[in-house]
Amino acid sequence: MKISLNWLKDYVELPPAEELASRLTMAGLEVEKIDRPGAALAGVVVAQILESTKHPNADKLSVTKVSVGGATPLQIVCGAKNYKVGDKVPLAMVGTLLPGAKEPIRQAPLRGVESSGMLCSARELGLSQEHEGLLILDAASELGAPVAKAVGLDDVVFELNVTPNRGDALSHLGVAREVATLLGSPLRVPSTPVAEGAKAASSQIAIRIDDRSRCLRYAARVIEGVTVRPSPRWMQERLSACGMRAINNLVDVTNYVMLEWGQPLHAFDLDHIGGAEIVVRTAKAGERLTTLDDKERVLEAEDLLICDAKSPLVLAGVMGGASSEVTGTTTRVLLECASFQPVTVRRSSKRHALKTESSHRFERGTDISLVPQVLDRAAVLIAELGGGTVLAGRVDVYPAPKVATEVTLEVAKVAQVLGVEVPQAECERILTALGFTRAAATGASSTWRVPFSRGDVSGPEDLIEEIARIRGYELIPEVLPRGQGEMGPERRRSSVGRRLRAAMAGQGLDEVVNYSFVAPAELDAFEAGAGAVAVANPLSVEQSVMRTTLFAGLVPNVARSARHQAAGVRFYELARTYRPNEAFGQGTTPVAVERLTLAGALWGAREGVTSWTAKDAKVDFYDARAAVEAVLSALHIEGATIEPKDSPWYHPRASAEVRHQGRVLGSLGELHPRAMKRLDAPAGIFLFELDVEALEAQAHLVAQATALSTFPPVLRDLALLVEQSMPADTVRALILEVGRPLVHDARVFDVYTGHQVGEGRKNLAFALTYRAGDRTLTDAEVVEAHQKIVLELTRRLKGELRG
Amino acid sequence: MQDRLKALAAQAKGELDLALSRDAVDQVRVKYLGKKGELSQIQAGMAKLAVEARKALGAASNAAKAELESLLQRAVVRVEEAQLEAELKGPKIDVTLPGRGSRFGHRHPVSQTLDDMCAVFAGLGFAIEEGPEIELDWFNFEALNLPVDHPARDMQDTFYLEPQTLPEAARAKPVVLRTHTSPVQIRTMLAQKPPIRAIMPGRVYRRDSDQTHTPMFHQIEGLMVDRQVSFAELKGTLAAFARAFFGPKAKTRFRPSFFPFTEPSAEVDVSCVFCGGKGCRVCKQTGWIEVLGSGMVHPNVFRHAGYDPSQVTGFAFGMGVERLTMLRHGIDDLRTMFENDYRFVSQF
Repeated sequence: MKISLNWLKDYVELPPAEELASRLTMAGLEVEKIDRPGAALAGVVVAQILESTKHPNADKLSVTKVSVGGATPLQIVCGAKNYKVGDKVPLAMVGTLLPGAKEPIRQAPLRGVESSGMLCSARELGLSQEHEGLLILDAASELGAPVAKAVGLDDVVFELNVTPNRGDALSHLGVAREVATLLGSPLRVPSTPVAEGAKAASSQIAIRIDDRSRCLRYAARVIEGVTVRPSPRWMQERLSACGMRAINNLVDVTNYVMLEWGQPLHAFDLDHIGGAEIVVRTAKAGERLTTLDDKERVLEAEDLLICDAKSPLVLAGVMGGASSEVTGTTTRVLLECASFQPVTVRRSSKRHALKTESSHRFERGTDISLVPQVLDRAAVLIAELGGGTVLAGRVDVYPAPKVATEVTLEVAKVAQVLGVEVPQAECERILTALGFTRAAATGASSTWRVPFSRGDVSGPEDLIEEIARIRGYELIPEVLPRGQGEMGPERRRSSVGRRLRAAMAGQGLDEVVNYSFVAPAELDAFEAGAGAVAVANPLSVEQSVMRTTLFAGLVPNVARSARHQAAGVRFYELARTYRPNEAFGQGTTPVAVERLTLAGALWGAREGVTSWTAKDAKVDFYDARAAVEAVLSALHIEGATIEPKDSPWYHPRASAEVRHQGRVLGSLGELHPRAMKRLDAPAGIFLFELDVEALEAQAHLVAQATALSTFPPVLRDLALLVEQSMPADTVRALILEVGRPLVHDARVFDVYTGHQVGEGRKNLAFALTYRAGDRTLTDAEVVEAHQKIVLELTRRLKGELRG
Repeated sequence: MQDRLKALAAQAKGELDLALSRDAVDQVRVKYLGKKGELSQIQAGMAKLAVEARKALGAASNAAKAELESLLQRAVVRVEEAQLEAELKGPKIDVTLPGRGSRFGHRHPVSQTLDDMCAVFAGLGFAIEEGPEIELDWFNFEALNLPVDHPARDMQDTFYLEPQTLPEAARAKPVVLRTHTSPVQIRTMLAQKPPIRAIMPGRVYRRDSDQTHTPMFHQIEGLMVDRQVSFAELKGTLAAFARAFFGPKAKTRFRPSFFPFTEPSAEVDVSCVFCGGKGCRVCKQTGWIEVLGSGMVHPNVFRHAGYDPSQVTGFAFGMGVERLTMLRHGIDDLRTMFENDYRFVSQF
């Protein structure tokens, strides 16, 4: 909402603009911008042309003598022809920087004749595109005064951010009331006495409201004998300051009065209304109306209409129709001032994607009690600016006069909610100044009648806010909350999250944050699109489905990095995946299963760059596995297995599942070549995905100590030739099983394939740790156990002992 | 023999003086003290001697042995010292080469900021609560005193979900991507009895995308409910947060505003972290940066959550995490936070 201070000061005394802006902002009417339209015209003054002669050296130029009120006239060279001696024109004094100019006006000779400034056109002042000669000012303009004042731009305009609850502040009078309350100064409301003709308005028009729940009040006046013409400059200037275009005196008055009171009005050409009755009713399905913006709109049964005997004239509260629009030839005006149910206006406005100054105000609620006053004010202005006679009486249908809301405020409640005492007299002064009236009072409480303009106020908390904001929130102290009785332990989820991130950092993975919605193609690449929750109104197809796997974001992240010359990246994301929740419907069960997931994608140079230590080593499955192992270790999940398992996400040659105690924790593998192609990703991306809820369930957040053995271990190596396909873990499990109870650990320390061991075979080397908890092992014990292991391995796995 | 023994020590000393390595010293040891060494040979000859002479020679040979060992010991020390000296003066490795392997991973700046914010509130006794992002319109709007057709719904452009992709039972109800973390307030109150002191971090969504808006961002919601919680405590809590997060000089300013779920409501500005409040480009010369919305919980919100507004009061606040992240890390384009360029994420 734009507020002109020149206009506002008609109703209330104003402090300097900056102070006023700060007061309003700190009371909740935020001034987003202070505009001084005249500021660009500093240095341009009103000058009168005293004489004008032809330039001695240039046919197209004249030499003028002008007065700016001082004793000696100034000599100015000028190229325009449209003026006559005696005219008042804008003079840019030496040193002035005109709007859009690069350099200030200089004192300089023009074709040999000295010129002390420049006479300006409207275009040179940035006022319009008009450049046919000088801007001729009003003859009454004061000589030497800033031209901004002469053209009505000596104004300060506030851009107010009015929150949706403050429909009352969408007008100059509403803001003036706020200012008067803040400053404790009187408010001057314009009075509206109407000089009426003898003929009764009711003889010309009747009003019938068919839908009384949607139209709460409908009032009209008739003005006859009106001449349509441009409205006077002062009105045009005010409308323009508020961002509205002047059209003609009739339309301008309705807009002006709306900006003054916040109540929208509509003017009809009475001669274009069929019959002598206005009917307010909802639309019949399929009914059509061409609105003022020349669009034909198909109406729906919920749309409220203002109609004549035959057809719709106006989409109520939103926009008028073309058929009954006032035109240059209008002489009989029907002026409407009404009150509509906010929801109806809002729905029509949304349905037809038609947001207007009128709908904006009706949606937020207007003051139904002002209808007669506003109607009179507009009728008087029309008669004043367009001539004509206001017919006697209003036609005013108000079937169920609204009863004011009453709110009881306990004195003690104010201090309790705000945390500071506010004297009762101050509460009363504030509420009264804002238009509330006291209906009843006892010692401990008072009951206030809420003005109709404040539909947002319905309970004591609303009154407390009014008191607090007018006093200023800065008067409320800052107090730390009182201590609390209990503190719970840290949530398990928070602790797990912290460990997961530490494990990822330790593995050299960088965290990414992707949007939760992805392109369907990104899910399809992982065959994960079926059953995904879709956004009904996405901004683009790239953000149209809720991801069911984090890979849908991570793999494109890698692909993008590869395109941007990364040598290698290690990314992880800790976020949710989404699926419909079939258990929805009971209690507060959410609509979707939102599963917190930890996923990673590794690609390219192992250390992120080619390094002198790792040379050109690339990440592989075992880097992804190391990340998974780091997570298991960070959460003390012992004995988890990672075993082959096919998945549409991973290449069959490197695809595994992570399990612990029968529960699936997640999976890892090399990106499936088909997904790679579909996502235009580089080869060699290794992925893992872990379900945080499952991890959390299996985690031991507080690890338990085991005593350190006091007996020395015996170390023995064992190398075994096996089939290439034999999983190392199978061999290891067998070593541990056969070696029980003396083999404490068996660790793979070498895997060798090559011609020395033969095609299709590999050599696995294990480092075995023998240990007993209660004694030092003898050599003989170890040799016996080791031989037994070798024997069993060669027998059961058809392995062959090496070295 | 006696003479030979005497000569032995002098001879060995002469040889040891020439020895430059441990090996050379060991050769001398073998020559004199080895099994077939000089001393052994002399001692072997002793068997033939008379007892007296043998005794005398024995003592002399023991003395000679002791002297030899002492000489050898000193020689060992000398050559080892010389070798160490040589090593210490020897070639150096290139210490300017980068360290080996194993880079440390980086955390996304938004998650770092979220953590730091949660830590501040944890210090004030706020527990962490979470809730769904795909949310019923009722939790996201209606329970928060934002009925259907309320103009305040225009304040947040909303993503709706396609009913056909939702569970059967949810298809008749409007379902949204939560536009704020406030619905977690309702879920928390429905699940717990007062008092409540909790923060609720998470992802939120608005249908808006330009230089300063992304369709997804993060918020932290705060809720405190108890008997007689006051606006003064809201101010105290947020002022304490601002000082803990932005530094001890940070000032806060509370401006009246409007949120349907709080009454009274306040926007909170923090003194500009860049200019200290004098006015600069970041704060658009105002000296203040708007960081959050807050207020006293509206009685209708309590009613929807099953609390009795005559028994409890409370405050709530919500703040955007990205904005604070940008201020802290000097990030000037919001959108870079979700592009996940490897050069971006490895900076933090």
